[in-house]
Formats: sequence, C-alpha cells, structure tokens
Amino acid sequence: MKKKWIPVVIAGALAVTALSACGKKDDGGSAGSGGGGGDLTIGVAIYKFDDTFMTGVRNAISDAANGLAKVDIVDSQNSQPTQNDKVDLFVSKKYNAMAINPVDRTAAGVIIDKAKSANIPVVFFNREPLADDMKKWDKVYYVGAKAEQSGTMEGELLVDYWKAHPEADKNKDGKIQYIMLTGEPGHQDATLRTKFSVQAIEDAGIQVEKLAEDTAMWDRVKAQDKMATFLSAHGDKIEAVLANNDDMALGAIEALKAAGYFKDNKFMPVVGVDATAPALQALSDGTLLGTVLNDAKNQGGATLKLAVALAKGETPSKDNTGFDITDGKYIWVPYKKITKDNMNDAK
Amino acid sequence: MNVNVKKINSFLAENAIYVVLVLLVIGISLSNPDFLSLSTLTNILHQNSTKAIIALGAAFVLITGGVDLSAGRVVGLAAVISASMVQMSDYPQKFFPHLNELPVFVPILLAILAGLVVGLINGLVISKLHVPPFITTLGTMVIVLGVNSLYFDMPPNNSQPIGGLRSDFTKWGSGSFQIGSFSLPYLVLIAIAVAVICWVIFNKTRLGKNMYAIGGNVQAAHVSGINVSRNLLWIYGIAGALYGLAGMLEAAKSGGASSAYGNMYELDAIAACVVGGVSTTGGIGTVPGVMAGVLIFGVINYGLTFIGVGPYYQLIIKGLIIVAAVSIDIRKYLAKK
Repeated sequence: MKKKWIPVVIAGALAVTALSACGKKDDGGSAGSGGGGGDLTIGVAIYKFDDTFMTGVRNAISDAANGLAKVDIVDSQNSQPTQNDKVDLFVSKKYNAMAINPVDRTAAGVIIDKAKSANIPVVFFNREPLADDMKKWDKVYYVGAKAEQSGTMEGELLVDYWKAHPEADKNKDGKIQYIMLTGEPGHQDATLRTKFSVQAIEDAGIQVEKLAEDTAMWDRVKAQDKMATFLSAHGDKIEAVLANNDDMALGAIEALKAAGYFKDNKFMPVVGVDATAPALQALSDGTLLGTVLNDAKNQGGATLKLAVALAKGETPSKDNTGFDITDGKYIWVPYKKITKDNMNDAK
Repeated sequence: MNVNVKKINSFLAENAIYVVLVLLVIGISLSNPDFLSLSTLTNILHQNSTKAIIALGAAFVLITGGVDLSAGRVVGLAAVISASMVQMSDYPQKFFPHLNELPVFVPILLAILAGLVVGLINGLVISKLHVPPFITTLGTMVIVLGVNSLYFDMPPNNSQPIGGLRSDFTKWGSGSFQIGSFSLPYLVLIAIAVAVICWVIFNKTRLGKNMYAIGGNVQAAHVSGINVSRNLLWIYGIAGALYGLAGMLEAAKSGGASSAYGNMYELDAIAACVVGGVSTTGGIGTVPGVMAGVLIFGVINYGLTFIGVGPYYQLIIKGLIIVAAVSIDIRKYLAKK
C-alpha cells in the first residue's frame, strides 16, 4: 500500500527523460541541416533509421541540403501507417516539397493522393512506386538505382577474375561451381541479385553449376554457419561464393578462413554488394574479391536537388539537378564496381 | 511381451528428446553418409555454443514460470558494445576514432555487465512492480533495441556495420585447440563451462532449489519463507549476463557486429528449451535437457542445409519438430500425474 507511489514516480521520471532526450534530438536534426538555406523546407521520411544503407542516403541528403534548404528528416519505423502520419504532418506544416522513401512501395498511391490535393511535389527514392501510381500526377518523381544492375555487376566481378586466373577453375571443367548466399526470401533485392549475378556470368559465355543456394537472411553470423556447412558438404569442389550483400560475404569469409583459405596461396573468390566499411577492409586484406557500391551519396544528393528544384517551382532538368531525367520523372543512379584497385571511390 | 512393450514405451517417453536426436542423425546420414564426420561434429558444436548459452539463460527464467523476450536484443547490444571497443587501431572507420587499445577483458566485461544490468532491471520490474514477465521483457526488448540503435547510430559510425576487430578478441569466438587433426573450438569449451556452472546452480545451490520452487508454485514458495523477489532479481540478472556473454561471443565469432545481431534469438532459445523438456508453465527443466534441445535444432539446421533441403522446407520441418517433440515429451509428465 505505502509503496503505491513508486510506479508513478518511475513513470514520471521516464516520461521526463524520454521527452527531453527526444526533444534534444529534434533540435540537433534541424539545426544540423538548416544552414541558412532560405525559406524552403523539405520533409523527408526514411523507411527505417537503423537501415545501414538508408543511413548513408540520409546523411547525404542532409549534407546536400546545406545552404539550399531546410530538411526535416523523420523515421517511419518500418511501418507504412506511421509514414502516412508523417506525410500528413508535412502537409499540415505546408512544406515546399517532400522526399519519401516508402516502407511499402505499393502504398505510394495514397501518399501521391495526399501530395496532389495539397499541391506539394513529392520525390520518392530508393523504393520505386508502381508505374501506375507514378502516372497519377506530374509532380511525382523517383530517384533510385536499378536493383538488377547490382547483381549484374557482381557477376561481372567474378567473370573478370575467372578470365584473368585460369587456375580458379580447380577441376578444369570450364564451369564455375558456386555457392549462393541469399538475403531474406521474397526480398526484391535478394531475388534480383541472385538471378542477375548468375545471368551475367552466363552472358559472358561461362557455364555455371550451382552447388548450393540457401538464405542467410542478410546476416553475417548465419552466413558463416551456412558456409561452414557447405564447406564440409562440398569441400574443394567450391570455386566461387556469391552473396547478396557484404555482411553475408564477410560471414562466408570467416568460415573460409577457419577452413584454411586466404593463406598459403589458397584463395576463394567471394563477391558481395554494398561496399560497407568492413567490406572495404576485407578488400584491402585481399580476402574479399569485389563488391558493388549502391551509391548512397549520389542517391541522397539527387533526391535533395530534385526536391529543391520542385520546391522552387522549377521543372527539373539536368541543369538544376545535375542528373539525367529519364522518361520525364526518373533519375537512375548507377551502381559502381569496387575492387581493391578503386576502393577509395567508396570511402 | 506386454511388459516389454510397456518398458520400451516408457523408455521412449522418458528419453523422447534423445530419441528424436538420434533419429535425426540417422535420417540425415542415410541421405548423405558424408554427414557422419568429425568436421560435422565440431561445426555443429561451434555453431551452437552461443545458442546454448542463450538457451541456458532462457531456461533459468522459464523454470521460474517466467519468460524473457529481451534475450535476442541483449545479445545484439552486447555484440555492438564489445565490438565497438576492440577495433584495430589502424582500422579506417573506427567507432571511437580516438580510443586507444583497451585490454581485451574490458569490452568483454562491459558486454556482460550490460546484459546483467538489463536482466536486473527486468527482475526489479517483475518482482517489485509486479508487471508480468511477458510484458516487462517485451518492454525491455524494444527499449534495448532503441538504446542499441542510438549507440550504433552515433557519429562517426552512423549505423555502419562494425568491423576490423582485434584478433585477441576474435580468437575467443573463432580460435581452437589443435589436438592432432581434431580442433576443439574455445567457444565450445566456454559453452561447456557455462553449462557446468548452470548445472551446479540448478542442482546444488539454494538459488536453484528456490527457482524450481517458485516455478512450481509461487504462493507455496512464498509461504515457505523463500524471498521470491530477491531470487527473481538474481535469476533475471544471471540470465541477462549470459545473454551478454553470448552477444560478445557472437561478435568475436563473426568478427563484426551490427544492431541487427541477435534478432529473434529469444524465440530460438525458448524453442530449444521447450523441446529440451523445460515446461513453459515453470518448475520443470534440466541443463542436459536444454543442451539436447539446442543440439536438436543445431542438427536440423546443419543437417538439412548439408543435404541441400530448401530453406522454406526447413522452416516447416522445424515447426513440426517443435510440436512433435513436445507432444512426446509432455507424456512423461502426464503419465506421472
């Protein structure tokens, strides 16, 4: 009975600290990106703040905004309803333009309707809305990369190595015996990278034989465990490892190291996608053969410049955005192949 | 004849989980005889050592009749904390650019301490504020993820995966003793040591006896003079410390960390405990049972991948095994009643 006040005090204390902490963060956000950029304000909604790649894009947007516009960047917490609420907030604050990284690309139609009725131009980025939705209004644009290109480049990295190193064909049958580590089942990037990386190898006139393909859920630890399993199941038959992202490629490399690879001239070509900092380290160590950079800097920069042009009421063009506009509403930011030779491009 | 059938039946019921384990190994080996090898054994043990430590932590809590949903996220927190402090000094993208090389035990202890603190908070809220364990740990699960994400997002790291860990740290997860051609990973020895300590706590200490008593009947335990809240505090604290240890070992094993580490591990741990004969209503469970539960999932994961079963089928098989193993195992308690 006498201790009834404890929960109340704790709840109160929590509420106060939580609010003050969050408040501070908001201040930091707008102060850091304000930079005296006139009266333009752009509302930016990211699908999820703790996504590695989107964090890169987010940082690129606030860097590019310096001196051009104020940006209000919010977290949609991987929930489309939350994002829709944030968009309502942008509309009620009468921002000059919005840049939206949709949680669910098929839900973009609703956001376009909101934007159209408030006459606020909207730039989608990184997750492409359906073509039908894009046609709903003329002030709807998209900035992104063609996902299949990341797979194609990954395959090409392996092709280049294969052609330059005849000894990579361990059993001299002219085919690449490979292991494929895939991301989350059903994830569009996972499906496309898996398909197009293999297709790029075949298109280069090299035959392939899949020894195993399994999902490691984009995860380094899971990929390490799967690779250890494949090594004991297939051993020296494996001639190459393709992973849908760098984390999984690095997990595979850990398993390969444990099996004696990457020393005494024992090498295994492993390729990934993303060009993360640990992956670049692995490139310079000579364990990772290559990776593909999804260009966060240019995606963020293009998104911001496009949004600024729209906010000013201009018609976007190469002159005011610095990027080619395809089909009147798309900016395609190309991926880049990264190997030990050009790894400084990814830093 | 009748007696024999009965005997066999009761033997099968008593040892159902071990029977399932043996059947799995036989089934997978028939499909690919290469499965029966020393490397398979060391791989499975190495891959499941951290999972065993987490499952033991979960078992403490389950036996008291509670549940701990924060396990996976505490693993992630401990992985990120320890990894952030053991990067090589010449690594280009360091979490703390100006941090000098710390002695390796500092990040290890901090990781365990972080887990302990979360566990003690769980224990405090459950025993003093009487919030049900499911709700309490659901709360700490998301809070820990939030805290970890904030930490992980701090400039200059900005949510980039942490890499470039020092070898005196990673050896705890990936090093091994070489005995002739056989290599025994340190990780396995650590897991065995933890299991032995847990076995002693479960069976030879007052805390262990109290834990079973609280899980069996909390009112009775209270009436018979057990300080329920203090025991719960320690039990959740120990569980948290074990998750912290496991998280640090995951980082050492994989040579990196991100805030996504440990996602959903709590469910794997609970599944392993339950398949290993730990009752979700409390009061029942043994250390060897938990280890067998972990091994069953280890053999399934490794074996099905080894013989090339597709990932979707693996999910279905795992689900079936959970239900089947528990339905067999539960019979021995039904029979006793």
